[in-house]
Amino acid sequence: MKKIQLLLPFLFISFLLQAQEKYTISGYVKSASTGEELIGATVAARAISVGTSANVYGFYSLTLEKGTYEITYSFIGYEEITKNIVLDDNKQLNVELAEQVNELEVVEIDGERDEANIKSVEMSVNKIDSKTIKKIPALLGEADVVKSILLLPGVSTVGEGSTGFNVRGGGIDQNLVLLDEAPVYNSSHLFGFFSVFNPDAVKNVKLIKGGIAPEYGGRLSSILDIRMKEGNKKEFTGSGGVGAIFSRLSLEGPIKKDKASFLIAGRRSYADILARPFLNDNLSGSRFYFYDLTAKVNYEIDPKNRLFLSGYFGRDVFGSGFLFNWGNATGTARWNHIFNDKLFMNLTAFYSDYDYAFGVEGDGEDDFDWSSSIVSYSVKPDFSYYINNNNTLKFGGQSIYYNFKPAVAEFISDGQTNSLSLPEKFGIENGLYIQNERQIGSRISLLYGIRWSHFAFLGEGAKQVYRDTIPGIRKDLESSTEFDQNEVIADYNNFEPRLSIKYDVDEFSSVKASFNRMSQYLHLISNTVASTPVDLWLPTTNNLEPQIADQVAVGYFRNFSKNKYEASVELFAKDFQNQIDYIDNADIFFNEQLEGDLLSGDGRAFGIELFVKKRTGPLTGWVSYTLSRSERQVEGINRGDWYPTRFDRTHNLSVVGSYEYNPKWSFSANFVYSSGTPATFPTNRYEIQGVILPHNIDQARNNYRIPAYHRLDISATLTPQNREDKKIKGEWVFSVYNVYNRRNPFSIFFDQNENNPQVTEAIRFAVVGSFVPAVSYNFTF
Amino acid sequence: MFLLFLTISLSKTMKKFIYIFFLALTFSACEDVIDVDLDQGESQLVIDAFVTNDSTVQTIRLTKSADYFLNAPTPAATNAQVSIVGPNSLIYNFVSDQTGNYLYDPNTTGALDSIGYPYKLEVLYDGRTYTSISILNPVPTIDSISQSFEEEELGSEEGYYTQFWARDFPGREDFYWIKAFKNGKPIDTVDNSNLILSQDAAFSGNAADGFAFILPIRAAITNEEEPFEVGDESSVELLSLNAEVFEFLEQLTIQANNGGLFSTPPANIRSNIKDASGNSQDEVLGVFSMSAISRASETITAE
Repeated sequence: MKKIQLLLPFLFISFLLQAQEKYTISGYVKSASTGEELIGATVAARAISVGTSANVYGFYSLTLEKGTYEITYSFIGYEEITKNIVLDDNKQLNVELAEQVNELEVVEIDGERDEANIKSVEMSVNKIDSKTIKKIPALLGEADVVKSILLLPGVSTVGEGSTGFNVRGGGIDQNLVLLDEAPVYNSSHLFGFFSVFNPDAVKNVKLIKGGIAPEYGGRLSSILDIRMKEGNKKEFTGSGGVGAIFSRLSLEGPIKKDKASFLIAGRRSYADILARPFLNDNLSGSRFYFYDLTAKVNYEIDPKNRLFLSGYFGRDVFGSGFLFNWGNATGTARWNHIFNDKLFMNLTAFYSDYDYAFGVEGDGEDDFDWSSSIVSYSVKPDFSYYINNNNTLKFGGQSIYYNFKPAVAEFISDGQTNSLSLPEKFGIENGLYIQNERQIGSRISLLYGIRWSHFAFLGEGAKQVYRDTIPGIRKDLESSTEFDQNEVIADYNNFEPRLSIKYDVDEFSSVKASFNRMSQYLHLISNTVASTPVDLWLPTTNNLEPQIADQVAVGYFRNFSKNKYEASVELFAKDFQNQIDYIDNADIFFNEQLEGDLLSGDGRAFGIELFVKKRTGPLTGWVSYTLSRSERQVEGINRGDWYPTRFDRTHNLSVVGSYEYNPKWSFSANFVYSSGTPATFPTNRYEIQGVILPHNIDQARNNYRIPAYHRLDISATLTPQNREDKKIKGEWVFSVYNVYNRRNPFSIFFDQNENNPQVTEAIRFAVVGSFVPAVSYNFTF
Repeated sequence: MFLLFLTISLSKTMKKFIYIFFLALTFSACEDVIDVDLDQGESQLVIDAFVTNDSTVQTIRLTKSADYFLNAPTPAATNAQVSIVGPNSLIYNFVSDQTGNYLYDPNTTGALDSIGYPYKLEVLYDGRTYTSISILNPVPTIDSISQSFEEEELGSEEGYYTQFWARDFPGREDFYWIKAFKNGKPIDTVDNSNLILSQDAAFSGNAADGFAFILPIRAAITNEEEPFEVGDESSVELLSLNAEVFEFLEQLTIQANNGGLFSTPPANIRSNIKDASGNSQDEVLGVFSMSAISRASETITAE
């Protein structure tokens, strides 16, 4: 009787459960020396070939059948740990891994598990970590996050001095650049020479060019997901450096050991401070500097709740008698909450203000000030539900409220003040997604899901309707209707299906394919050859429809010599809708009827990317080659025929290498080659009022290609071998940018000769026309 | 328009500043003349017709467009008939001087000075007729030109800087072209393509209606690289334009000053002169503008 009584509950429970009981082990994987979460660390029961990886917050969840297991925790560059675990209940286990002592044979160049290239269902993804970024020789010795990703397949720019970058035939506004989950609108200082990200504070950089998962949305061509360090939880440390342009300092440390920490990282250019003594009185009022500052605090409230607060501020100021001033400021709060061993949530809220201003420094009687900004507020919950080994479900959403101030100007003329401004624009962008990453058998992985996105163009504002005309001519305003605050002027919905599949051919190779549809509701309006900081961001309106892109990608991935070499070949094809272009001589600035100058058309891009990387050993590096084409077709431009985009580069080759000669010296080099970008050249000239003007008889756009771009950079790093106990460690970096002095043309334009105005010339403008040597010193303590 | 503003009043200072900064940074931003092979397009008629209500001889110039690297004056179009139709069907004939210029002397049948009238240009050339209409808009008088001595600054030399004082007409949308001279010659003797243009009193209308011309425009009449010295004469011509011509001149300024970091893709400038038969194949280049003109000048005295 007793036995039956004991048996019944047992049967009842086993009826509720699966045939075999499963339990979950979950927790955080962190670094033993700093307490930083190890993004993507592997947690595996190797004996049964089952594993998972830690998410961007270092959280992992592994569900196994009841039993005893050897669970191995590993992360490149760290000593792996194996724990013997008796799994008879759900367990929480946080693990800390110790950094490997740097032996010559094991020098990693990315923080990824060895076979991630083939095993992960992700394709079209490149990751770079801070160490690699700092090794790549850079302009004036300033290591740069964005410049590093330019060396990856499928990524290019139109040249030095252009802000932004192009991915697989997409414009510079089609990349979602995220800094700890908050978007950055202008990722460069000083017209694109340097990015706004301080390499000392960066933990992880991930570029997604295709097969974009449903959790991301809002831009068509890529996601650049940058994660900054959280701050050393064990001890107070710092690092910094003095370079040719920036001086940098970052400080981090625990506020409460192992529970709370902070990070402050700042950079400032100091050319102006150095120059001040040499400027005469009249020039001493001139200002030119740029800075960025990141400040973060994180606190572990309890094992299930963590809070992160961060702020980023960056600004460029420059002028003399007039002043240019632009910058980003963001404030972000994030909350990690663990509901149970399988359900993890991150809730992000941020405020972002991107603004640019220009003024003439007058005397009160006469003055002029102009500014423009985008302010946005957002809430973004993301959930990860680790259902079982074979299924990881993610769902969540985002809502962003935008306030665009395209132009606010005030001028005082002869004592009279007045304001000129363009009306503000408002909008709200929403998204909801659900996706599942599923393992089928031992060879097939699938990531599938859908994102629903929505944009409403809101009042207060005007609904402008333009009269149709011959494409290519300015459209006149037919009517303008006023709407009240938060009234919907126009709205759009899009469903964005996403799918990625991976098939393991064998232990060392796999085939992957993906499809994604993306939509984009913000548009960068720029009429110049390279974008400038004063380019205008506009929301989708009743005239400007959302941009849409569909991308299909297929690739073959193979590792050689036990993951020593990683190689891949990927083909992609993209189709774009509602791409914005301008009529000839469009009036972009201060134009309340700007939409009448805009044209909409289709785009297409396709290409093949080859990539080989050597991951270990004293010599590491990679070769990346992309062959591609990117074109547009717009009624009213180029007589309606397809024409190449401004950033189309047929060949794009990068060779990057780094050699650890001995513990004291290491050397790096990179070589890049890319085909010239297209340009529009005239066929005829004519004269009006003594001025010689160009004319193109075919109304062609981008009918020529400027000469190819190629460049070699080298650098050497000297790390003096000090006594182990010496607190401050430093290294010297010597670099030369553009070693063989090539005058790479940024653009070719036509102008009258200064001495002989009758003579017109083709002038090649090179931004960097000689080799540029630099020395910098980096230290840590 | 704002870019125009940048390229006009600040291009010299700003471009210089940027180039100096980059030069200092990288020791290397540079421009070189190179050889390029361009396609050649067929030649088209070009009509350069800026006519004012002045009592001086008015000139309309007709030429043909040519190969881009001609590097010589473009050929004249001499066998045309050029006339302007005014109020009461009065026809003003412009007579060819056989070098491409067509002249009209107002001392014969009067100046073209009916403010508000839509004058019509007619050009007969090579069997085709081209027409255009331009309204003669009023222009404010220039009250005065003031002077002040300025020390050297980044991008500007030491010397006397002048400003002109005039007030835009309130209640209407106006467009102006301001021509500045030093001792009778354009202030920029090398490059005459940096036109000073304004919409009402500023570079964009609406709020600037009825104001005195704003500081950057008032001050644009001095060449920062060659300011005035004692004894020089600073003079200004203020011309009224209509919207189409203003747009044409804006585009002219952009296309003639394109280059460097902020260049825009070269584009054809739309003409306000059309083939009368409506046949768009026979495109003609150039512009017709009727302007009222007001003048002022000032001789620099020691301060």
